[in-house]
Amino acid sequence: MNILEIKHLCKNFGNHSVIRGLDLSVPEHSVFGFVGQNGAGKTTTMKMILGLLKPDSGDIVVHGEKVSYGERKSNVSIGYLPDVPEFYGYMNPMEYLKLCGEIAGISNSKIKNRSEELISLVGLEKVNRRISGFSRGMKQRLGIAQALFNEPSLLICDEPTSALDPIGRKEILDILSAIKGKTTVIFSTHILSDVERICDHVALLHDGKLALCGTLSDIKKKHRHNGFVIEFAKADDAESFMDCEELKSPEITAKKDKNTITIKVLDIKKDGQFLIALLAKKKITPIKFEIMEPTLENLFMEAIQ
Amino acid sequence: MRNYFIFLKKEIIESIRTYKLLIMLIVFFVFGMMSPLTAKLLPEIFSSFTTEGITISITNPTAIDSWTQFFKNISQMGLIVMVILFHGILATELSKGTLINMLTKGLSRSTVILSKFTSMAIVWTLSYMLAFIVCLGYTVYLFPGDQTSNLLFSVFCLWLFGMFLLSVLLFASTLIKNNYGPLLITGGVVAVLTACNMASTIQKYNPSSLASKNVALLTRAVKPSNLFYAVLTSVICILIMVGSSITIFRKKQL
Repeated sequence: MNILEIKHLCKNFGNHSVIRGLDLSVPEHSVFGFVGQNGAGKTTTMKMILGLLKPDSGDIVVHGEKVSYGERKSNVSIGYLPDVPEFYGYMNPMEYLKLCGEIAGISNSKIKNRSEELISLVGLEKVNRRISGFSRGMKQRLGIAQALFNEPSLLICDEPTSALDPIGRKEILDILSAIKGKTTVIFSTHILSDVERICDHVALLHDGKLALCGTLSDIKKKHRHNGFVIEFAKADDAESFMDCEELKSPEITAKKDKNTITIKVLDIKKDGQFLIALLAKKKITPIKFEIMEPTLENLFMEAIQ
Repeated sequence: MRNYFIFLKKEIIESIRTYKLLIMLIVFFVFGMMSPLTAKLLPEIFSSFTTEGITISITNPTAIDSWTQFFKNISQMGLIVMVILFHGILATELSKGTLINMLTKGLSRSTVILSKFTSMAIVWTLSYMLAFIVCLGYTVYLFPGDQTSNLLFSVFCLWLFGMFLLSVLLFASTLIKNNYGPLLITGGVVAVLTACNMASTIQKYNPSSLASKNVALLTRAVKPSNLFYAVLTSVICILIMVGSSITIFRKKQL
């Protein structure tokens, strides 16, 4: 079942159109990577899902319920982490979470349990000072805690990892993948390695439309080129392998770059055997021999062009 | 309704912890105390300046002088301090984005407006009451036996004018997203109302009469019934301002 469905969504700011007919569906219990350049319209789309911005046309359905601008009904099942989460600086984290719980209409005893649970999930249990002294990373963690407070079935995170240090980033990603079982996560980013790390579905927003959408493995499979990357210890080895007469058939294209040769073939199985045999015949031992995997970066560059 | 009280509590904690309430209380306490003292001491200060050959004759100060100082201080400096302290009550939350978290948790926008207005009203009322009680105490102590008429009504009028300003401030905050817009608009409204006071036909309905006729009420130069329409217009204006703040804020794209 799809937890979120977007149909023909359009949004203009003045005469600048940001979203032009976006169609998107997010299956339940997935970690959905929403990728796009700066200014592609990721935040705008998310705000429309939350009913904070008014779409010019199109439908957004969350949990089978249509989102209407300014209404709060659909928000009950959504948790939102803004790109730069800001809190009331004069409160401490526990007080802030209590306020969140009260606003969401959760009973007092449950608020206490839930606050403690979340505060340890995000690793802020030893922090008892006011939020005004928090670093960006700490605010990001508290942001996740508040977004998860009402046990949302859909968690929307707007660039949760940008501007964090590598350790903070890893921890945020770990938290997101830890809650995967209970909650569907949509997170926008322009850091592709984050997507590869935790997402199972991915969509690329470009020019106000989806340029690419599907499961990560499907996309990769679809765009895989048959080929091998062979890396040699010495440039001489690469040179002499490159010069082999056997490689000069029309089925095979080889490209050399320093110690590495990239070879595109028609049949992975047959030609792979052939290459290994050739290496053995020439008595060259490569230090790496692998099937070429498309990187997300290449895929996206391809999709955008 | 539940969320109204929760958010009101948050607003009040905010005014305590960001020292807004404290500043208001101190400023108004000082005004309450200074007014009778200045009234009492001013003639003595003047007489200490007199050199030979010049005689400044000053009539003995009365309770009216004390209240003149009080209404002058509060209606000018007091209200200015209040407006400056509260000018960012909505704009700061919108520009920082702190309100987004609350709204996405299911807090309704009209609740935000109503609880913010209530919290401002509470702070204003408390500070103003403090100033009044302190001033009353000192006045009775320094000028025993002096009579004043319509004191409570006169004090009420200035309070209502303060409420009117707060509603204008709130309304301006929903119109303009930046910090200074609300200040400018509120200042502009006061300037226009004061200018309107020149025309006697408008004066009758003008909310700013509530802040300018206070002493006249005490000396019975103005009857309370003369201000009936000004009170009525102010109450109607407050209701309209708060109502339209809610309507505008509900339609605002955040």
